[in-house]
Amino acid sequence: MRFIKVNLRFLNVWSIFSFLFVLGIIFSNLLVFTSLFQAPSENWEHIKEYLLADYIKNTLLLITFTGTFTFLIGTSLAWLISFYDFPLRNFYKLAFILPLAIPTYIGAYTYTGLLNYTGIVQSSLRNYLNYQVNPKLFDIMNIGGAVFIFTLFLLPYVYTIVSSFFQNQSSSLIETARLLGRKPLNILLTILLPLARPAIIGGVSLVVLEVLNDYGVVKYFGITTFSTAIFKSWFGMGDIDSAIRLAASLLIIVFFILTLEKMVRGRKRFDSSTSKLRPITLQKLSGYKALLAFTYSFLIFSLSFLIPILQLLYWSLITYNNVLNNKFWQLLVNSISVALVATCTIVFASVIVANFQRISGTKLSKAYAKITTFGYSIPGAVIAIGVMVLFISLDRKLFWFYNIVNPESAELVLSMSLAMLIFAYVIRFLAIGFNSVQTGFEKIGKKFFEASRTLGMTTTKTFFKIDLPMLKPALVGGFVLAFVDVLKELPLTLILRPFNFDTLATKVYQYASDEMIPEAGVPSLIIIVVSLISIFLLNKMIMKEEG
Amino acid sequence: MLNKRKIITIISILLTLTLILSACSAPLNSPGNNDTKENGMVNLYTDRHYDTDQMLYDLFTSETGIKVNVVKGDSDELIERLEREGNDTQADVLITADAGRLYKAMEKELLQPVASQILTSNIPPNLRDEDNNWFGLTVRARVLVYSKDKTDESELSTYEDLTDPKWKGKILVRSSSNIYNQSLLASMIAINGEEKTREWAKGIVENLAREPKGNDRDQATAVISGEGDIAIMNTYYIGKMLTSTNPEEIKVAENVSVFFPNQETTGTHINVSGIGLTKSAKNPKNAIKLMEFLVSEKAQKLFAEANFEYPVNPDVQSAEMLKAWGKFKSQDINLSLLGKYNKKATEIANEVGWK
Repeated sequence: MRFIKVNLRFLNVWSIFSFLFVLGIIFSNLLVFTSLFQAPSENWEHIKEYLLADYIKNTLLLITFTGTFTFLIGTSLAWLISFYDFPLRNFYKLAFILPLAIPTYIGAYTYTGLLNYTGIVQSSLRNYLNYQVNPKLFDIMNIGGAVFIFTLFLLPYVYTIVSSFFQNQSSSLIETARLLGRKPLNILLTILLPLARPAIIGGVSLVVLEVLNDYGVVKYFGITTFSTAIFKSWFGMGDIDSAIRLAASLLIIVFFILTLEKMVRGRKRFDSSTSKLRPITLQKLSGYKALLAFTYSFLIFSLSFLIPILQLLYWSLITYNNVLNNKFWQLLVNSISVALVATCTIVFASVIVANFQRISGTKLSKAYAKITTFGYSIPGAVIAIGVMVLFISLDRKLFWFYNIVNPESAELVLSMSLAMLIFAYVIRFLAIGFNSVQTGFEKIGKKFFEASRTLGMTTTKTFFKIDLPMLKPALVGGFVLAFVDVLKELPLTLILRPFNFDTLATKVYQYASDEMIPEAGVPSLIIIVVSLISIFLLNKMIMKEEG
Repeated sequence: MLNKRKIITIISILLTLTLILSACSAPLNSPGNNDTKENGMVNLYTDRHYDTDQMLYDLFTSETGIKVNVVKGDSDELIERLEREGNDTQADVLITADAGRLYKAMEKELLQPVASQILTSNIPPNLRDEDNNWFGLTVRARVLVYSKDKTDESELSTYEDLTDPKWKGKILVRSSSNIYNQSLLASMIAINGEEKTREWAKGIVENLAREPKGNDRDQATAVISGEGDIAIMNTYYIGKMLTSTNPEEIKVAENVSVFFPNQETTGTHINVSGIGLTKSAKNPKNAIKLMEFLVSEKAQKLFAEANFEYPVNPDVQSAEMLKAWGKFKSQDINLSLLGKYNKKATEIANEVGWK
């Protein structure tokens, strides 16, 4: 009896915390969605008549083409790297992850600066070769250009997921197929792609969600999508009702994609028959095949990393004198400290909810897990407003308490603080940490936990003594991924930051919207370098784990 | 064993506390938290992000000892934020780069009138609100930019003329979601009426050289690269391009000319960056001091020279570059109308398909 009591008590700690996190998420979104039931405003009629069709068309075009291209390129790269050996293959294996460090909006600014009339490409052609090109050929500020940018910089999502799947799952299958005389392309189409379907769809859905959330690129390119429309009707027309209707339409698309993902992914799961996986023996390419593989890889690497980095370096060199000052170091400190705090909270919350789900396994806990990952599908702009409404009403309710602590306190304390921004980050990126932690738990399974419980340890003690040490890689992984995402985040930071608070991301945005793209070079590079360091740390750890 | 559990519990509590504390530590340092009385600071919301503005604030601080705290953001977002924060806002003043936005803030009752002899005597009446809810700080004109090689000045006359079929496929202008274009349309509604403005907007769309895209600088560039002939853009961008870090951009600016339209008729469209005192300002005295400082000759000169805007203060000279363009006749309307007709202007742009 005593055992059960203790057990229940500790289970409650996990469940209460989980409940609180989930409550936070629900509240901040619910407050937004309540006005969905009111009658539409006259603005809505105007939007519906003249604009809505464009929003839908542009959004669908963007996700369809970006999804297709990231699938084609990401999967083909994963295939090359996982099964073949060609010059610099080991380098490319890592290099294709690097674009993850470049936020899409920085990619967009950089390529615009590179390719426009005053950029290096056209001006070199003009000044050195005396060749005047048709500027329309180099114009990327359109839907095609946005697809180009999204594809290049979101590629790693598909590449990493699919290549880790290839490397972990299929060595025996592919070797059998090779022995039986199947041609490489045949193996790819009939064995690997069907096998990797869940991984591919998972990766592509992440890409699509990122595209739907984007504000920086489409705003800069002047493409009207749902996220710019939400900003526009909310702030421009001062019409919250229409903004929410737009958000709801966007969510319908999101739900459609999530359902589609579930359906296409199906119930199929292919598990490896042998418990110990052998590494795949790489097939050495030679001659023109090696050259082809090398060139293709080099092309993608150059476009998605090398060229933008070189351009940013050049801009940094010509502008660092104007940009680097005392205030700039403050930016750096701001960015990193706020990202650290947010990321710690994300990992903490992820562990709590994931562990609660694992242990209790009830429908409720599964619903918690669903809600936890929901934030990632909601555009930053919508979360921002929800969080703002929530915090202001919290402040009004807590005013009596502020008065006790400090009789001269203002009414708005929380909503004037960084806590609001951090809370919004947590809602937005909890899914990143959570997925990582959950995968970690799945890997460990329940047997150690159950053994420990049977031997008389409590849930919490088991967690710290058994689960946590085994979970460490997943925790660090979740931490790094979430950290990089917070550091790059733009729309939430733009709206929710307190007084005198700038981050690297907001500074980059400012310079770009002030038509001073070269000045954005230094802050952009720092975001990229910090992200790169995180990625390297993560990669080193994974390698160590793989032995 | 019991000890260990205790230690773990303590550690986790400490960790949580650290998180919460670190999350909340910022507001302790943030301004305005503990001041019910004015204590040497002024908080401002601004949508102007020019680094040169910071120089002005620093100058103000060194002259008065009053610290200037700045939140930068999009004007619409800042107004939305002011509205939500209500009486508790820390913002004392709002600065936007468009008179229409100040009008919007005023309509939402977020601003209060300021009675200041210095402000009213330094700013001409059409560049400030009738009831002194907001004041213009700097003026910019929306002009036509062309290349002397391709277009003769005598072909240019008015905004209205740009809808003439002879300009088919020649006109360059950015998106109508940009406030500068909305205000241009609003000014035409005020002068020519709604129907004529709709026809005009339709004519512009028919004569566009390409889908509206990019910013004002991109329009000038497109004139030189040959995508179109006439760009509609703001004056100060030419100055900014001439002082750009990119030599190619300087070349573009050197090769274009500026034309002030409607000189024989209704005048060239102008707009202001302006300032207003928020309704719930906690430091109103400091705020008014800042406002008065910004229209002083010294500050106006800095605005003009660093950012190539026309000063509102008639006693202050424009930058050399602007002087070379000569004096021009501007639209004779109160700029509040830009705000009044903003909604209509946006609707017209959407209806005629001005992206």
